[in-house]
Amino acid sequence: MATTPDEAGGREDELSWGDVLDQSDRLEVRPRPRGRLVLQLPSLEALVWALFSAGGFVTAILVPVHVAVLGIAFAAGWLPRSALAYERIVHLVHNPLTKLYLLALVALPLFHWAHRFRFAIHHQFGIGWKRLAATACYGTAVIGTALAVVVLLRI
Amino acid sequence: MKRTEAPPRYPVYVPKVSRIWWLRTGPFRRFAAREITSMFAAIFSVGMLLFLFALSRGRAAYDGFLHWLKLPWVIALSAVILGAVLYHTATWFRLTTRIIVIRLGGRTVPTVVIAAGLVAALLGASALVAYFHIWF
Repeated sequence: MATTPDEAGGREDELSWGDVLDQSDRLEVRPRPRGRLVLQLPSLEALVWALFSAGGFVTAILVPVHVAVLGIAFAAGWLPRSALAYERIVHLVHNPLTKLYLLALVALPLFHWAHRFRFAIHHQFGIGWKRLAATACYGTAVIGTALAVVVLLRI
Repeated sequence: MKRTEAPPRYPVYVPKVSRIWWLRTGPFRRFAAREITSMFAAIFSVGMLLFLFALSRGRAAYDGFLHWLKLPWVIALSAVILGAVLYHTATWFRLTTRIIVIRLGGRTVPTVVIAAGLVAALLGASALVAYFHIWF
């Protein structure tokens, strides 16, 4: 099981596997209390993992075509003139279903990034600060989602 | 370990890991590339937010955004984002076929079939989005 650097006799600036991973690689799960009615809330870790997974699918299946249409095809002049006409796009985005779709398209990749970047901070950049990294990453995604909600309501 | 020392009372094995362990071998490097390229998914989200902000601020702002999309460095950035998200698509489908196990009538659906389903979903969704985006 994971140990703190002190227990392992290491110095504070040396990251150990256990130090970095003890939250996500837990080897044991606390047993449910039996015989009592207990309200089981899904843990925050489970919630952000679900958002990460959904974001993975959105990024894999929906994002490439959006980048190809907006970023490449439009700039290269391959689209008909009416494709990105202001009236047409405003009319399309006024539909509540389109708004929901756009909210998912903006928010879920952000949560996907947040979850991966959170661990990249530990694994690739070798920085500890687990609580700060998680708060900064998921906080950024939450702020992006809030901005998307505000702007979609204003269109 | 000497017993006379205070805690820990038992030896604890903690492997020492170099800070750049993820550059060492091919699979580690591909793993790191997968994690780091998720950055471009976030950049896409920011770009989409800017698009929606421009749309909400009226025709002039929207036309300004479309003009900005045609700047050479923005086209280059779009190409990099497209490459990164397609890399993500490949890795995501690969790991999905290793995670999802579908059993039908006592037999396991082969991973090739699941992969084909994912590619079909990608092509179908892309066609649908392109249709609404361009011609609808």
